[in-house]
Amino acid sequence: MLYNCQNKRTKQFLRGLLAILRKLRSNPDKELRLLLLGLDNAGKTTILRYLANEDITQITPTQGFNIKSIHSEGFKLNIWDIGGARKIRPYWRNYFENTDVLIYVIDSADINRLEETGQELSELLIEDKLYKVPLLIYANKQDMVQSITTADIAESLGLHKIKDRDWQIQACVANKGTGRFRVGLQEYHEKVNSLTLNTRYKDVFKNISEI
Amino acid sequence: MTFLFSAHTQSIFHANWINLRDADTGKILWQGNEDLSVPDIEHEAKVPKQILRCRAVSREINFSTAEPMERFRLEQKVLFKGRCLEEWFFELGFVIPNSTNTWQSLFQAAPESQMMPANVLNGNMVIETKFYDDDLLLTMSRVRLFYV
Repeated sequence: MLYNCQNKRTKQFLRGLLAILRKLRSNPDKELRLLLLGLDNAGKTTILRYLANEDITQITPTQGFNIKSIHSEGFKLNIWDIGGARKIRPYWRNYFENTDVLIYVIDSADINRLEETGQELSELLIEDKLYKVPLLIYANKQDMVQSITTADIAESLGLHKIKDRDWQIQACVANKGTGRFRVGLQEYHEKVNSLTLNTRYKDVFKNISEI
Repeated sequence: MTFLFSAHTQSIFHANWINLRDADTGKILWQGNEDLSVPDIEHEAKVPKQILRCRAVSREINFSTAEPMERFRLEQKVLFKGRCLEEWFFELGFVIPNSTNTWQSLFQAAPESQMMPANVLNGNMVIETKFYDDDLLLTMSRVRLFYV
């Protein structure tokens, strides 16, 4: 029962992502490579395990990478989660090749490192090997008291200046159950209306609001 | 698992644990935490019979390396009574120095009509895995499967 429940949660979490994937590939037989990056403690591994329906209670800092193959909703996903510690970041570039979607995870409550995470993201966006690769930003830990909204993150990181690729930002609480996750998404949806976002993803946001 | 390799390769690469999960539920069906660096041992895995009914099984390997690897890859053979039934090749690429990593791959089940029953497979299946950096053999393991 527990796992059925997790499966349902996963589908909800995946919905926004799947909408992007559907747009990317008319041929679902092809395996898609997703690259998960972000600072240490942003929640990359939690999101990875969540997507694979796995236990997320015992997660330790990633000292290298975690790779998982997931078949979901007819998609074959190959997800690469690379550690975000400062000494590992120089190695991120070894994993850029053939990336179909870049997922960048931000700890929305780590305000002190907002500038640092913005800097890392902007460096990724000028990489040749990630040119035009669609970007999905998970604004994680939206349940924390000190967390800031996706609108504030988007503004602080200057996301509206991104013109060379499709992008979206999505609020989430990766380590919590559906309820709180819903709340986070609902709040987020209210903010979305005040944001200028790529029109291509309008239906994605519609989907999110229905969760 | 049998390790036939020099102290040098053993010190740069170490397989820490391996597990098998029902890919649909994420539930761990088997996990091997033995010291994989014990040489000349054929390891045994007692796997629940239900694994044969899974639509897909994921196999996760956790490993550490001191040195960077440019082209980490793995060759796996499924042996039934010593005869190779299937051979799998996985290529992963670059591995960060002084890192610990997990790598999970997915195996789709054969159609039910082609699936051999548990009592036939029991104790007769050996999974042989060779770990390479490019053409350099780092280590090899053999696991005999029992369905319980």
